[in-house]
Amino acid sequence: MGKKTINIPLGSQHISLLEPVKFRFECENEKIIGVDSDVGFVHRGIELACTSKFKYDAIPYVVARICGLCAITHSLTYTTAVESLLEGEVTLRAKYLRVLLVELDRIHSHMLCLSHTAENAGFEAMFMQIMGDREYVMDIQQALTGNRVQFDYIHIGGVNRDLTTDISKQIKTNLQIIRAKVGEYIEEFSNNWSLSLKYKNIGQITLDQAYEYNAIGPLARAAGLKTDVRSESDYLPYEQLGYEMQLASDGDIHNRNMIRLKEILNSIEMCENIVDGLPEGDILTKLKGKPNGESIVRLEAPRGELMYYIKGDGKAMLNRVRIKTPTFSSIPAFMEIFKGSNYADAPALLASFDPCLSCTAK
Amino acid sequence: MIDRIETTLEKMQSDIKRFYDKKVWHFLTLNGVQLDENSTEIQWIFSKYGQKDAITLFYLTATRGDIIPSVTDILPSAIISQREIVDMFGIEIEGSPKGLYLDEDSLTSPLSRCRI
Repeated sequence: MGKKTINIPLGSQHISLLEPVKFRFECENEKIIGVDSDVGFVHRGIELACTSKFKYDAIPYVVARICGLCAITHSLTYTTAVESLLEGEVTLRAKYLRVLLVELDRIHSHMLCLSHTAENAGFEAMFMQIMGDREYVMDIQQALTGNRVQFDYIHIGGVNRDLTTDISKQIKTNLQIIRAKVGEYIEEFSNNWSLSLKYKNIGQITLDQAYEYNAIGPLARAAGLKTDVRSESDYLPYEQLGYEMQLASDGDIHNRNMIRLKEILNSIEMCENIVDGLPEGDILTKLKGKPNGESIVRLEAPRGELMYYIKGDGKAMLNRVRIKTPTFSSIPAFMEIFKGSNYADAPALLASFDPCLSCTAK
Repeated sequence: MIDRIETTLEKMQSDIKRFYDKKVWHFLTLNGVQLDENSTEIQWIFSKYGQKDAITLFYLTATRGDIIPSVTDILPSAIISQREIVDMFGIEIEGSPKGLYLDEDSLTSPLSRCRI
């Protein structure tokens, strides 16, 4: 007689989920042996809207609405793809300011993930502390862009607002506070039983699996796969700003947490370098022409590689906008990691993937 | 810089199998671009690990009624983008059922419509 299996759903609404997604786990006792997912609950037809409702120069503001956490990376990746088909050059000052916003996005997105990882370990106080500290980053973003969440900062040819002396001071003060806080988090995530030992050797992905399933972002780097679009692209001046790739080798939840913590520290360093060494120049350049041809641009969003494919024929409306988001392409890797894990670890595993369903379904 | 390589329905699997080394190439995604009412360009997009902006794109033109072979034996992570293309363009890919974003019995294919 074969072993009995039971099917247990997780979602589409579940206390551990920030957004709607449904998993169906096939379990043998406590062990997950099969998994199926449904990710389409928040599909909004944005790719179609980008080719049927909006002209190419309005789309940076449309794609910023795909995700509240990486709005800047979406509008910047699209904008960079369009700019590669237009005549003219974005100034170095504008590029520096773009990196500043992308890295601030990364800091607050990683902090959100870490807080939910803590929450899933039953560490509510840590969850609330990190969410409270995250406000320091959001205050900077509000000062820079005018908004706390949906930032309309990136424009084709540059950015919409310059950095003032007052905002520079606020950035440096707030980043100093966050740096000290991250030092405390590292101590907690390394040594606290709930956060560290409970997550060590749980939800592992090997280097070979990372290659096999094309893992990206912190998921890949925690397994030792040396991939980060910040080092594989020349669109933004990361080499001048002190970027360093963070790597681990065990590929478990603990390693993913530590990668994110180290990346926050590196992002803080890059933001400080930008404020200290911001070149002179205009923040917006008028680029000539309309997009004609096809372009593929990748940038490193907080969750990994974000890709935009655009195709235009010299008209105001584009022929095709294809958006490949990090969570979407990581789903096969997520599913593989679930197999063999305990069902009780599923919510914590899911939080450690830092999934974004708004990006995925777009 | 995009390196475009044309392939066909018959040769696509063998072309990608010969090309793909998982430790050298990173599979980005599957893409569709509608050329006219009856034909869609299907693209398999790769980037090279450790190299700046090195993109290779395999493409073929599928006409209405064509069944695209699956590449999941070579690229397991392609399963999700194959299902997205099936939903969005209404084309058929082996082993990729409709219903990732749309209802399984949905009659529409949003990206295969004529421009509004």
